[in-house]
Amino acid sequence: MNYNRADLLDRLASEYVLGTLHGAARRRFDKLLIESPAARDAVHAWEQRLSQLAASVAPVTPPARVWAATEARIGPTAKARQQRSWWSTLWKPALGFAFGAALTFALVQLMPGAFVSLDGLAQREQALPQSYVGLLLDREGLPTLLISSTRHGTRVTVKSLRPVTVPAGKVAQVWALPKEGAAFPLGVVVPTKPPGNTSFEMSATSEKLLANVTRLAVSFEDAPAQAGAKPGEFVLSGPCVKLW
Amino acid sequence: MAESTALQKDLARVALGDRAAFARVYQATSAHLFGVALRILNRRDVAEDVLQEAFVSVWHHAASYQAASSQPMTWLISIVRNKALDVVRSAAVRHETGMPASASGEEIDIEDERPSPLQLLTQATDALAIRGCMEALDASHRQCLALAYYHGMSHSEVAAHLRAPLGSVKAWVRRGLERLKKCMENIA
Repeated sequence: MNYNRADLLDRLASEYVLGTLHGAARRRFDKLLIESPAARDAVHAWEQRLSQLAASVAPVTPPARVWAATEARIGPTAKARQQRSWWSTLWKPALGFAFGAALTFALVQLMPGAFVSLDGLAQREQALPQSYVGLLLDREGLPTLLISSTRHGTRVTVKSLRPVTVPAGKVAQVWALPKEGAAFPLGVVVPTKPPGNTSFEMSATSEKLLANVTRLAVSFEDAPAQAGAKPGEFVLSGPCVKLW
Repeated sequence: MAESTALQKDLARVALGDRAAFARVYQATSAHLFGVALRILNRRDVAEDVLQEAFVSVWHHAASYQAASSQPMTWLISIVRNKALDVVRSAAVRHETGMPASASGEEIDIEDERPSPLQLLTQATDALAIRGCMEALDASHRQCLALAYYHGMSHSEVAAHLRAPLGSVKAWVRRGLERLKKCMENIA
């Protein structure tokens, strides 16, 4: 089926929201929604239209056990609070908000399955290996690439959250921005279609290169940058943190 | 809308893990959302599960709510409806639970005093400026949309319910949606 035709897309979106698109077609459309902003926009518009119909449904107060069960499932929470405050003290409040929101979004994209299980978020965080993680946002602040590397590894995994179009004849150069001192090149990434993964190799381990790096960025360069080179304009950038 | 702004703020706080804000969102919206789920599922226990699933999902996904482009209720209703539709679409569950609207053609048994989907539709459109748009639809289109939206019926279930050919129902749903959209665009 050709999803590019706007009218077809709109029709599928309308029946998706109404609920009459089902079976394999619904599952295909669910997948499409992850990849296609146009499909998300179309669904969004239909949700706005049709949700007005829900206004007439009489409210029915659910029994208290629903709230009790829901609360139990979102995890306990002295521990979660401690970890959250760790996040929020790490950044200035505004940045903390953007990053917290973006990272949650990115993690949900990355492992949607993990977020519907009974386990609390706190346990998940503890289960992650010691790694450096960077979340690169585009100029509109949308999470675009999720970069990660284990603490003592040299391979960097790059997960695409949104499409990145590298201009013809250019390369997407990843830069590390230390707390103090000049940006230095980490490697070249060839972004895949979301939600795909790709990777590149660094010259040393993350621990050596990234221990003092607070931000990562991407610029489009004519050729892979050599050590000592200066970066061009950053098209993506975002915080880099230690996950332990 | 003040209520809507407060909800937006609370959802932003939920994204940061604020449980008090989450409790406020639940307080403010759960009765309406439970009503929506009950309509589709027609079973309290299943609707309770769906509501719980929906709110757990809200807790984890609040960061993906985009306040700029959507009313909070629209977003929440979509989550609840999607979860309810997932459940209702599982044929096994329909049989197991004796849910209404099996494709076999029996009438939906609305045993209580709740208004019919068509009455709901009228009430909804009364409350809004889109009444003219709904009235402009053919009766068959309007009825198809109401059964699908409020009861989560599939094409074949609507066809069985209305004792109409499946092909006609598909066309009515499609045209009903197209005309509704066109009309609402003209109003806006």
